[in-house]
Amino acid sequence: MSTVSETAPRGQSARRMRIDGWRWGGRAFLVFMLLYTALPMIWMLLTSIKSGFAAMQFPPQWWPDQPTLASYQKLLDPQNSVGQDFLRFFWNSLIVSTATTILSVIVAVPAAYAFSRFTFPGRNFLFFAVLLRNMFPAVIFLVPLFILMRAIGLVNTHGSLVLTYLTFGLPLAIWLLKGFYDNIPVQLEQAARIDGATRFQAFVLIVMPLSAPGIIATAIYSFIGAWNEYIYAYTFLSKNEQLTLPVGIQRFFSENSTDFPGLMAASFMMSVPVVVLFLLLQRYFVRALTEGAVKH
Amino acid sequence: MAHVVLKDLVKTYGSFKAVNEVSLTVNDGEFVALVGPSGCGKTTTLNLVAGLTSVTSGDIAIGDRVVNDLDPKDRDIAMVFQNYALYPQKSVYMNLAFPLQMRKLPKGEIDRKVREAARVLDMTQLLERKPRELSGGQQQRVALGRALVRDPAVFLMDEPLSNLDAKLRVQMRSEIKRFHQDLKATIIYVTHDQLEAVTMADRMAVMNGGYLQQYDSPAQVFAHPANMFVASFVGSPAMSLIPLEASTANGGAILTSAEGWSLALSPRNAQKVARATTRKVVLGARHSTIKLHKSSVAGAIPAKAYTVEPTGDVTFVQAFLSGAIVNISVSPNITVTPDEQIWLEFDQERMHLFDSETEMALEAN
Repeated sequence: MSTVSETAPRGQSARRMRIDGWRWGGRAFLVFMLLYTALPMIWMLLTSIKSGFAAMQFPPQWWPDQPTLASYQKLLDPQNSVGQDFLRFFWNSLIVSTATTILSVIVAVPAAYAFSRFTFPGRNFLFFAVLLRNMFPAVIFLVPLFILMRAIGLVNTHGSLVLTYLTFGLPLAIWLLKGFYDNIPVQLEQAARIDGATRFQAFVLIVMPLSAPGIIATAIYSFIGAWNEYIYAYTFLSKNEQLTLPVGIQRFFSENSTDFPGLMAASFMMSVPVVVLFLLLQRYFVRALTEGAVKH
Repeated sequence: MAHVVLKDLVKTYGSFKAVNEVSLTVNDGEFVALVGPSGCGKTTTLNLVAGLTSVTSGDIAIGDRVVNDLDPKDRDIAMVFQNYALYPQKSVYMNLAFPLQMRKLPKGEIDRKVREAARVLDMTQLLERKPRELSGGQQQRVALGRALVRDPAVFLMDEPLSNLDAKLRVQMRSEIKRFHQDLKATIIYVTHDQLEAVTMADRMAVMNGGYLQQYDSPAQVFAHPANMFVASFVGSPAMSLIPLEASTANGGAILTSAEGWSLALSPRNAQKVARATTRKVVLGARHSTIKLHKSSVAGAIPAKAYTVEPTGDVTFVQAFLSGAIVNISVSPNITVTPDEQIWLEFDQERMHLFDSETEMALEAN
């Protein structure tokens, strides 16, 4: 016994010595990545609480001399025209994103379940056809979709965006959810059906609650995608009162002067719903993306 | 409880016949094991009875009702799955209550039945737990409880013991057997383990390649296997099957090996061999019916010991005869060493003879 306890730590420390270089290298890389991703956001926050003059100073003020929430007040004030616009854009984005999310869940859940559970003619072909769309950059579809939307009279409506976002969001939503359903043993439904449930009841009472994390992840994914989308919103909508946030925020750029604090405050508020959603539900999101990676 | 009748049951997947003309009757209160190697169609047969798979042709009757087109929920059955299929998000209590809730029983009655089932299975203290907080044996018991809480006409069990460790498996085996005796339940039990079938079932249906090979009591299947497949599948170690050639000499029948030795048959065995469609027959002998001699004895056949496996109670000796492996069990106080010359004596009363063409057992009238 004593010999074992004597030799074991020595072997361990030798091993630790060898990987130390890699370990520190790894840490340095992580710190770099953290700064790389976090600094722009910190800068955004700091700029948003500066005055317009302070934001343009060089060398920059790292910490504003006179922090002010004036930009936020302006954006959230329904009395002033900037605030009216911002709130309207925010509302538009919320409507488009929520509609996209709800529709995408409504379509993706049964579709993913069908792909996971049933064999039907053309199943594999359809499944890959669903993914095929994701192989092309979105811009390729810009002109054809615009022509299509014009033909069916949807240009300058939020419907055109919801429809477009669905075509982009659904494939991955279905793919994500199918992975989830694949991991739910079919015997659970069989047991439920024998225990007296119809096929539909077995799905609603047993499978749906188990796939809740997947459904939540799918919903977040659709929401974020729709919330941040720029190019289609920019192309399909031209009336000011219909613009969504990513497009609307451009109004802070102008030929002569750019209201950087206002722009940053708007950007910050635009990221709030996404960050909040993500923080609340990140557990499910990570689980969904890694689902099926290892056997339980 | 009810009886179950399968009549000419067929299930095909494309051109593959998973279940082929299977007909059998399970009597009211009987414990029947469907047993066979993987892919023999036993689980498919069970799923057909459960209604989880649709019938290609043939009929299934539970009680006096043909249930071919009924949903699983309307067949009045309960099923225990290999992976238990407990609802992970529900507590043990809710798992047991689910079948009753689906049948819209009043709350008070559900509570009474759930607690009664929990008491019978000795898991009252587990009712509030989630399935993942239970051990394998406890999960298995909850699965059993969920089946019995509803008092169904037939219990279907799909390899319910396969996921347990060896010790627990033996223990649950006797518990399920006890459960059957107490409830007088009709049970159809699928297993690939012939030992489970032999120890638990009133009758066992041996299947292979989608066909029903033999359907009889374990004792009968063991003593009178219908064909070479059943003979080699049931019993452990497997029955030794030695290919030989039949001929007559001095008015009696003998079996001759390509190795040169021959074996004289009793008149009864000679009768059996006479019924074969070919002169090539297969001699079957279980390990316990072969006597091992360390010196030459009249009627014994010389062989060389190949491996020797002591198990404590008995020692298993393997030898080759006519190219076939022969298992012999001997008392542990007889020492045999590998490559030692031994002589094997077959028990004429308890040997089996098979037609090598049809692979069917040869019977004397």
